[in-house]
Amino acid sequence: MKRLKLLCLQILVMIVFLALWHVVTTTSLFGDVKTSQFFFSTPLAVIARTVKELSGPAIYWHLGITLTETVLAFVIGSAAGILFGFAFARNALLSAVFDPYIKAANALPRVVLAPIFALWFGLGIWSKVALGFTLVFFIVFFNVYQGVREVSPTILANARMLGMNERQLFRHVYWPSALTWMFSSLHTSVGFALVGAVVGEYLGSSAGLGYKIHEAESVFDVTGVFAGMVILTIFVIAIDALVTLVERRLLVWRPAQSATTTAT
Amino acid sequence: MELQDRPQAGAGAAAGSPDGAAVALAGVDITFHLADGGRYQAVKGIDLSVSPGEFVSIVGPTGCGKSTLLNAAAGLLAPSAGRVGIFGKPLVGLNRRAGYLFQQDALMPWKTALDNVKVALEPMGVPEREAAQRAREWLARVGLSAFVDRYPHMLSGGQRKRVSLAQMLIRNPEIILMDEPFGPLDAQTRQIMGNLLLDLWSRDRKALMFVTHDLEEAIALSDRVVVMSAGPAAGIVADYRVALPRPRDIADIRLEKAFHEIHRDIWSSLRVEVQKAYAMGEGRELVGGDAP
Repeated sequence: MKRLKLLCLQILVMIVFLALWHVVTTTSLFGDVKTSQFFFSTPLAVIARTVKELSGPAIYWHLGITLTETVLAFVIGSAAGILFGFAFARNALLSAVFDPYIKAANALPRVVLAPIFALWFGLGIWSKVALGFTLVFFIVFFNVYQGVREVSPTILANARMLGMNERQLFRHVYWPSALTWMFSSLHTSVGFALVGAVVGEYLGSSAGLGYKIHEAESVFDVTGVFAGMVILTIFVIAIDALVTLVERRLLVWRPAQSATTTAT
Repeated sequence: MELQDRPQAGAGAAAGSPDGAAVALAGVDITFHLADGGRYQAVKGIDLSVSPGEFVSIVGPTGCGKSTLLNAAAGLLAPSAGRVGIFGKPLVGLNRRAGYLFQQDALMPWKTALDNVKVALEPMGVPEREAAQRAREWLARVGLSAFVDRYPHMLSGGQRKRVSLAQMLIRNPEIILMDEPFGPLDAQTRQIMGNLLLDLWSRDRKALMFVTHDLEEAIALSDRVVVMSAGPAAGIVADYRVALPRPRDIADIRLEKAFHEIHRDIWSSLRVEVQKAYAMGEGRELVGGDAP
């Protein structure tokens, strides 16, 4: 009963929002209708455009491009992050020497690299993958580094007393611990891979969702921009749901976390 | 600080290694180098030997270096002076013939109870299927047949200790080291775990060093009770033989007259150290330093 009430209230918020939007853009209460529609379009037009886009084949090609970029950025960024995270965590000198540079590189807003990457890698998918990589790498790197460094000393001592050699310690202790930390940031890193892809496309490309939105914007097609945003949102929610599914599967051994707001 | 007036550790070292002892500590000093550059001498001039098949408890006030001593026998800590002998041979690196039950949770949280026990056989090169079979048997022996697929966070504190016990014993170590293993458990669970331990130990008596702050537990379980002085530079102040008959039930044995007599004897020497530690502890708080 409580959940039903909550759902009703949530839907009510959407209806009020859409109704307000509709009233503002289709009546002359807040000024000229033509002007309002130029800047804000109308909810019905946006919905109609979204449905039309989603029923055509073209959008799926763009989505496919964006998805490819996201996945590549995530996979390559994670692999590099894991590799460097382990290397730095197990080698005190390495981490001490590179510490200021890592911090500096992480402090740099990565978006400014987009033009450079476009120059280096062209306007194809790789400049977007490179941008996503720089975002994903640091998240995974810091988490793996932390995961390896913060292995419980008792678990480690116990594993040693059980006679494990370095290889076995890696397999049974360091690796699972690092993965735990990495998985706990899975949502963030996948999200950033997507941000890299879309922002990269937006700044210069010939395909992908970011490109679609940019294209609509350059001809003042506000309806197209909003429709692109709606499709992007649906896409992100779908990916996020997938990540949640993967996370549940991989972290079964962990006690239920209170961090998730959805009912378990 | 009277212990510092004792003869130098080297003198006792020659006598400290009787033939055939499972564990022989001779003139062992252990000093920690603190982060602020200072030093803390945890134990000093320890001579202690444990025979094969002997159950020895080590009691003493909090922070007296009981665990430190156990870590030296395990090879997790190298003594700054003195010798550690294992079955007559000097200990180099980790003690491969010992199993260690830690006070804190030491199970791998990402493995099920079965996998946690099974993984203990991997360094010994036991094939996968045989390892799984033996792990199941051991989990049954500690009464956890129904919980093999549970992850540690799904188990109670007592159940986790049982898994740890199975994990350690499945390797059939010749020396068993236990550091306040039942410390975090409630009173009833401690008794059950104590009886379980005695039951498992009595099947093929191994040398066992058991650190505890609970004197009653120590007497009920052990053949010998060793009393340590208050730290820093803690030493052994007394060594009592517990001549109670076995098999024992650790709940019933506490009611016997002989138990009370032994308890009175040991408590008389332990009490002095506990009071000393308490007095020092108050002083130490003012200085702000503490044991590592």
